[in-house]
Amino acid sequence: MTEKVIIIGGGVAGLQAAATLLELGLKPVVVEKTTHIGGKLNDWHKLFPSLTPASAVLAELKSRLEGVEILTGTEAAEITPRSVTMTDGRRMEADAVIVASGFDVFPAELKEEYGYGLYRNVYTTVDLERMFAEGRVHLHDGTAPRRVAFLHCVGSRDEKVDQRHCSRVCCITGVKQAMEIKAVFPGAEVYNFYMDIRMFGPGYEEMYREAQENYNIHFIRGRISEAGETQDRRIQIKAEDTLIGRPLKMTVDMLVLIVGMKAGRSNGALARCPGIELRPSRFAAPADSFCSNVYSGVPGIFYAGTVTAPKNVGESINEGVAAAVKAAGYIRSKP
Amino acid sequence: MDILQGEIFRYYDHFVIPFNIGVWVLFAVIVYKYVRWFSRLTPEDKSLVGRGLFSRKVFGAVGEVVSESLLHRRIFRVDPLLGYMHMSLALGWFLLIAVGWVEASMHLTEGFAPLHAHVFYKFFAPSPAGSTAETVLSNVMDLLLLFVLSGVALAWFKRLRSRALGMKRTTKHVVGDKVALAALWLIFPVRLLAESAQAGLKSIPSFLTGNLGEWMVSALGEGFVSGFSAVAWWVYSIVLAVFFVSMPFSRYMHIFTEIPLIFLRRFGLRSREQRSAFDHFQIEACSRCGVCIDPCQLQADAGIGNVQSVYFLRDRRYHNLAGEVASNCLMCGRCETRCPVGIELNTLRLNSREKFSALPADDRYAYVATADRSSGGGRVGYFAGCMTLLTPRILHSMERIFDTAGEQVWWADRDGGVCCGRPLKLSGETEAARRIMDHNSLLFARHGIDTLVTSCPICLKVFREDYDLGPVEVLHHTEYIQRLLSQGKLEIGKQDILYTYHDPCELGRGCGIYDQPRDIIRRAGRLAEAAEIRDNARCCGGSLANLEIGESSQQRIAASLSYHYRQTGADILVTSCPLCKKTIGRSFGEVKDISEVVAGAIRQ
Repeated sequence: MTEKVIIIGGGVAGLQAAATLLELGLKPVVVEKTTHIGGKLNDWHKLFPSLTPASAVLAELKSRLEGVEILTGTEAAEITPRSVTMTDGRRMEADAVIVASGFDVFPAELKEEYGYGLYRNVYTTVDLERMFAEGRVHLHDGTAPRRVAFLHCVGSRDEKVDQRHCSRVCCITGVKQAMEIKAVFPGAEVYNFYMDIRMFGPGYEEMYREAQENYNIHFIRGRISEAGETQDRRIQIKAEDTLIGRPLKMTVDMLVLIVGMKAGRSNGALARCPGIELRPSRFAAPADSFCSNVYSGVPGIFYAGTVTAPKNVGESINEGVAAAVKAAGYIRSKP
Repeated sequence: MDILQGEIFRYYDHFVIPFNIGVWVLFAVIVYKYVRWFSRLTPEDKSLVGRGLFSRKVFGAVGEVVSESLLHRRIFRVDPLLGYMHMSLALGWFLLIAVGWVEASMHLTEGFAPLHAHVFYKFFAPSPAGSTAETVLSNVMDLLLLFVLSGVALAWFKRLRSRALGMKRTTKHVVGDKVALAALWLIFPVRLLAESAQAGLKSIPSFLTGNLGEWMVSALGEGFVSGFSAVAWWVYSIVLAVFFVSMPFSRYMHIFTEIPLIFLRRFGLRSREQRSAFDHFQIEACSRCGVCIDPCQLQADAGIGNVQSVYFLRDRRYHNLAGEVASNCLMCGRCETRCPVGIELNTLRLNSREKFSALPADDRYAYVATADRSSGGGRVGYFAGCMTLLTPRILHSMERIFDTAGEQVWWADRDGGVCCGRPLKLSGETEAARRIMDHNSLLFARHGIDTLVTSCPICLKVFREDYDLGPVEVLHHTEYIQRLLSQGKLEIGKQDILYTYHDPCELGRGCGIYDQPRDIIRRAGRLAEAAEIRDNARCCGGSLANLEIGESSQQRIAASLSYHYRQTGADILVTSCPLCKKTIGRSFGEVKDISEVVAGAIRQ
């Protein structure tokens, strides 16, 4: 009988783990709580820094899943190394479990001072990506924006909302989307308000430079303190340009909040398993951050992707491979 | 000479020496303290005392002294057993002294009887005459001693199981307090032994000391009991002396401080923004009972155990108050409502902070003079406050409410304004706060409003307490909205939503506003109350008054609070403070300001 590995989460990390386990001759089962696999990539249009369509990456991953058992609309409630119990009470035995349950998008409503959900022309990067995917970026009244402000670090590096960590990928997302806006509306003025720009990946720094040199995107160092709505539904923002040390007020047509990654709510269920530790950020803590970063600390439970920390798509896919290989090794080493 | 010697030594034994030393040291220190404190009172305070002494307030004070210093009525409200413990010690000992004085005065009739002759009456008492009055008195004294001993037994038991007396945590005492405490606990058991031995030897009948003494003599022999008695009287005198000497330097100074405090408070004396001599009466009136520890969320949720009011007052009294202790307080006021002595804990905490802050530079707030960004005009002024500007849903709801009610509004700070000054005040920067308050007072006066509405309880408290706005009526939006609803200027529909309500500290304990928000919620839906509400409501943890704790401690406090409110099963938590809203919003599901509930339920 072929040994079974349950993978919690059908995002990029989970799908890659499933594909690798299949190659290794094991039987992966993907448990996905939403109605379809692909995770957050389903909501994304193009990926930085190459502007590869997200759908192309997903199609490639899905093409490797021939024969993988996929249970959509199924949510894990309790995880042990030998079984997973679902919220509907079903219980499934396994020889190992890979947790690839991902992250949640930071709810921008918590930063009420930016007026998300209150002012019509305040959006998040997720909203904007959806508009790009739909092929039409527009303001609430259907018109084109002439001046757009992006605000970095919404729900990242912010103690006030209990999000101390850096979400890493949002800097480059903000730069990518600013350039995309500029590509669609060449006449628009685009401003990015940031506290630090962290360009950690290959090609990211180059993209940031290109945004300034070729796209004329303005980068202002300083966070926006509050936003208000004018009579004509534009957004007035207050900020401080910390490089010149002056407060500034600006009225824009569109404010885009670059939302960060929050630890998945599902990590709460995971933490009930004895031996599983969460970091203070509520992301799962791997056994260590070097040689064992896909090990959970509980033999038989492995991690892949953003369940442990914010990561980009490529890193998450790599961890899918690593977790699958380690899970296979664990099963084969058992007497 | 012989006569004199006879007079003095008629009631004398060497064992009374320690007692006499203790009494005179106690007396001298107390007199020194009283003279010092009273002489340093401000002239206004002194004149209050002068007028108070010849007013009816004295009767009220005497009544309060009986009910609080002897009966400890307020501690009974915390826990009946704890109240009984304190009462048995205070009232019991007081009656032992009073009745003992009567008993002694009746019999020590030959010549001059010094203080120690009364205190050690059983030792100096003549052999029994056997009169009925005497027997009754001996038995009454025994009963009183038993009463006190029951309190001592409870105090011992409290060390082992404080929860049985309604306290999760008790005070961690300093060495001096432990010495005094040990002496106090020994006084009455030793007294029982000494008096019983004496009663046995002299055959003085009574149900406790008499019977116990009789048994001692029959079981141990007269010779042994006689030697034992001599030692017991010495030990009794020494523990009394230790207790008396340690009294004015330990927690037991409260016995001599609470009484004048009750009088002075009735005469109208209060602690103020700046330190004053009156503060001593409050600080030394603290008995370190520790009732303030359990309500403190810093202790319960954040694991901080050295900043509670009992420790703050102790440190300030002994002049080793650290800035971190003075600043590490939410100033939620929960301990103040429970303090059995009624000490103004928040005011004392505030005027301690003043010492740690620097004066602002002359030009630091110069810019406020030109800061008038107000708009609109009307008899009603609306001051959102900084926190409301950061929670724009509240501001929008208020706009909607004003609009529906047809009110003409002057918007003081919708496009940015100057802080109300309370955050500066809370951090001890009273002078800086004063400059800002002056600016706002002028601003309000200039625009000719007769009502000032604010959405922020922090602003409300400072407007009411520290601003002199003349005839302008200052209202919190809960009061204002309730008025609009009652007058029929605003109509809202009842929805099938289950709300729970969080009392903000500054609005509830700070300004006494509890009923208006509840009335509004009941008009808009159903209300499920949590276990700890109104003047026992918990702080959200986001208090501006705490200058020490970080976000993680604030989160822990808020998370515990959210759990508390989730027990109600409510769909939405309602509060009426923008800071509480923001703080609780991180860990509770849906949190709304009361103005949002109202604006969402307006019937057009």
